[in-house]
Amino acid sequence: MSAMLLNKQKWTEFTGILSGKKVLAPVACGDRFRYAVPAEGKAFSLDFDRPLVPPKSAVFPQTETLYRFQLGKTELAAPQPGEELILLGVRPCDARAIKLVEKLFRWDVDDPYYLRRRELTTVVGLACLEPGLNCFCPSLGGGPASTEGLDLLMVDLGDSYYLEPLTDKGRSLMDLASGLLEEAGEEGLQKKEEAVRRAEEKIRRTVDTDGVPEILPDLWEHPLWQKTAAGCLGCGTCTYLCPTCHCFDIQDEIEGFEARRCRMWDSCMFEEYTLHTSGHNPRPTRRERTRNRINHKYSYFVRKFNVIACVGCGRCVNYCPVNIDLIETLREVKEAQ
Amino acid sequence: MSQQFEPNIVAFLCNWCSYAGADLAGTSRVRYPANLQAIRVMCSGRVNPLYVMNALQQGADGVLISGCHPGDCHYMEGNFHARRRLGMLKELLEFVGVDPRRFHMSWVSASEGHKWKEVVEKTVEDARAAGPFEGFRRRRIDW
Amino acid sequence: MDLDKLRKTAAEVVSRDDVKYLIGWRPGSYGYRVAPGFVEEASAAETLIFSPLCTINLATYLTLTEKLPLPRGSAPDQRKVALMVKGCDSRAVLQLLVEKGIRRDQVLLIGCPCPGVVDTALLSLKYPETESPADLKWNGDHFLLRQDGQETAIPRLSVLAEKCRLCRYPNPVISDITLGEPVEAQLTAEDSAVAEVEAMELGARAAYWEEWFSRCLRCYACRNSCPLCYCRDCVLDRLNPTWVNRAVNFSENTAFHVARAFHLVGRCIECGECERVCPANIPLGRLNRKLAREVREQYGHEPGIDPDGKPFQAGFKPDDPEEFIL
Ligand code: SF4
Ligand code: SF4
Ligand code: SF4
Ligand code: SF4
Ligand code: SF4
Repeated sequence: MSAMLLNKQKWTEFTGILSGKKVLAPVACGDRFRYAVPAEGKAFSLDFDRPLVPPKSAVFPQTETLYRFQLGKTELAAPQPGEELILLGVRPCDARAIKLVEKLFRWDVDDPYYLRRRELTTVVGLACLEPGLNCFCPSLGGGPASTEGLDLLMVDLGDSYYLEPLTDKGRSLMDLASGLLEEAGEEGLQKKEEAVRRAEEKIRRTVDTDGVPEILPDLWEHPLWQKTAAGCLGCGTCTYLCPTCHCFDIQDEIEGFEARRCRMWDSCMFEEYTLHTSGHNPRPTRRERTRNRINHKYSYFVRKFNVIACVGCGRCVNYCPVNIDLIETLREVKEAQ
Repeated sequence: MSQQFEPNIVAFLCNWCSYAGADLAGTSRVRYPANLQAIRVMCSGRVNPLYVMNALQQGADGVLISGCHPGDCHYMEGNFHARRRLGMLKELLEFVGVDPRRFHMSWVSASEGHKWKEVVEKTVEDARAAGPFEGFRRRRIDW
Repeated sequence: MDLDKLRKTAAEVVSRDDVKYLIGWRPGSYGYRVAPGFVEEASAAETLIFSPLCTINLATYLTLTEKLPLPRGSAPDQRKVALMVKGCDSRAVLQLLVEKGIRRDQVLLIGCPCPGVVDTALLSLKYPETESPADLKWNGDHFLLRQDGQETAIPRLSVLAEKCRLCRYPNPVISDITLGEPVEAQLTAEDSAVAEVEAMELGARAAYWEEWFSRCLRCYACRNSCPLCYCRDCVLDRLNPTWVNRAVNFSENTAFHVARAFHLVGRCIECGECERVCPANIPLGRLNRKLAREVREQYGHEPGIDPDGKPFQAGFKPDDPEEFIL
């Protein structure tokens, strides 16, 4: 199937077709959005601002039970994610991030939980025609209509959506709705390209990442880390909200005579993260932790997987309560060279 | 016949007065409801609010904390501290939507076997009236 | 506020031999953002500002800064940390002194009488933020916003932070140097937000908090930004015993929130930082202010006011209320 148009008047019908499946869509809560199953009777809407928590949480939940066990019994019960999922309204940066994180979960062992969820999920993206204040995805090889990691890309053309299938999953989703769609044709394509071009022009912040992965190892003891970290609160905001952060902790939790082993997000900005049982902490201050966050994204990940683990979504810049600005830090890194 | 709901009560009793009081009630064959799981602590002042939270998370329908009367504390002032702190905990729990009938505190001395009976009856009755605690019970959420 | 005077004072202070560095506010990297400025040399004092955008409570850094073991043979740095404080911030410092979390001779306080700061989130909702740096000034019952060469007058109450509407101590309660004239404490508004929750039926209240607590990410920004959450070994980080499970769900989150709020009973000085930094927008201020009000009304105690006071939870009065006890 080629690119198609969906008239916005048929939007309700379109979502009706999806309604048999589990759909996560952006839902307003207060003045922030999050991905959730829209409440009963509530229509899905693609009129939203960038959600606070990235959709990585749908494939890599903040808390996930790995298996359960009971006192006196030898068998383990490992839950298997089994439900198909459609993720609607995913920003292209977040979709790229899901793909980047996948590299880690495929690295030394295949992580069954992540990969199974990934397999069951259809990622439907929506191009950002109004990029946010801190979006800088083009600096990292993405863009407001980047298709990496998406199964289907949607672009808002005013009175209709432009639908571009990218994988088999995307195509079969479009097949379901084929009765509602019309051929986009040359005109549709042009309109879409025009919309995307205008969106790209609206991006205001940029970073020059050229050479950063190579410079970072030399800046290990540079005073810039101390300076950046001085104001840092050591909270988990920048990492928990980052679509590419993927660190987790594993804990056993007991309830009565049952227990479960589960994994949950962890953050290298926490003091506890590297704390050894002996009491020794190889990253004793926020300086080392800040340095790690930048290095992991812009140096270690590059060495291992050949790509920077940042997609320029701007969340860490937006939500850091004390204005520790990744874009500024990267500029300082370049200047320190 | 519909079964009457039997609440689970977790009681934190101080070693020197309330635990002894409960013991006395037992040895003097005072009959009181058996819904209570008693946990002995050295002093009511030792009761951490997270004890209460953990009890509620793990399936208690009510919590009772009992210590010596003011002035009788084995450690001089432990129960005065408990009174202040747990009074505020009670306010806080109510503010976050926990039925106040699920949380009680009492002074029961080692010689008050009969008062102990009354306290237990009141606690159990209140928790029964409040019904099974669902709220932030762990099993309701993620187990 | 006279910025020249502020910078001159700051430069003098950091030049002193007994001062390690000064913590003040400096313009952030864009828009309405303000960042903490750590000034070590007099020349850097030029970057400091004090404006209605200076919401950050810098007192947090007094206890946040790590104290690493000293290399053998070296003496500890005994110099003071100079700190710029608004009314609420100064209460945090005073409370830290009362709790012996810091020593008086370790700090030098530059007090800034404060006509109230903005709720930056509200401001950017009503007056969208752009990437060029903005400057905000107090001007009677307006804020003057200057950005991109344009000036906008914003009605003060439309963007004033909630905590400032309720502020009873806009002037520093403790300081070594005071900049500018004291401001008049305004008539404190009713705390309608707390009253709103109190007015709910029990079930509705439970549902209200369930909705919010379920959204908590457990990023601990609220804990880390709080000047009075400074335990070296926080109960929430404990694994043996595990007081609060690491799982992030409504049950554990509630335990966390009750513990956090409880640990601040009689200590929270209502600076509003926890609520401001929360990425999930959880109305933590309502929890804190409810408890602060109960402590005030039932026990006549107010933290961060009386330098000779005793910490609330470490003391008692024989006649503390006990109507609730069976
Ligand atoms: S590091 Fe920041 S900008 Fe980059 S992907 Fe993570 S949150 Fe987004
Ligand atoms: S969000 Fe900001 S303050 Fe929090 S850990 Fe990240 S850089 Fe530090
Ligand atoms: S609470 Fe008071 S002192 Fe603190 S910022 Fe607001 S007005 Fe200023
Ligand atoms: S700052 Fe907000 S989201 Fe983070 S732990 Fe605190 S309440 Fe939860
Ligand atoms: S609990 Fe919140 S309002 Fe109270 S002192 Fe801490 S940060 Fe400030």
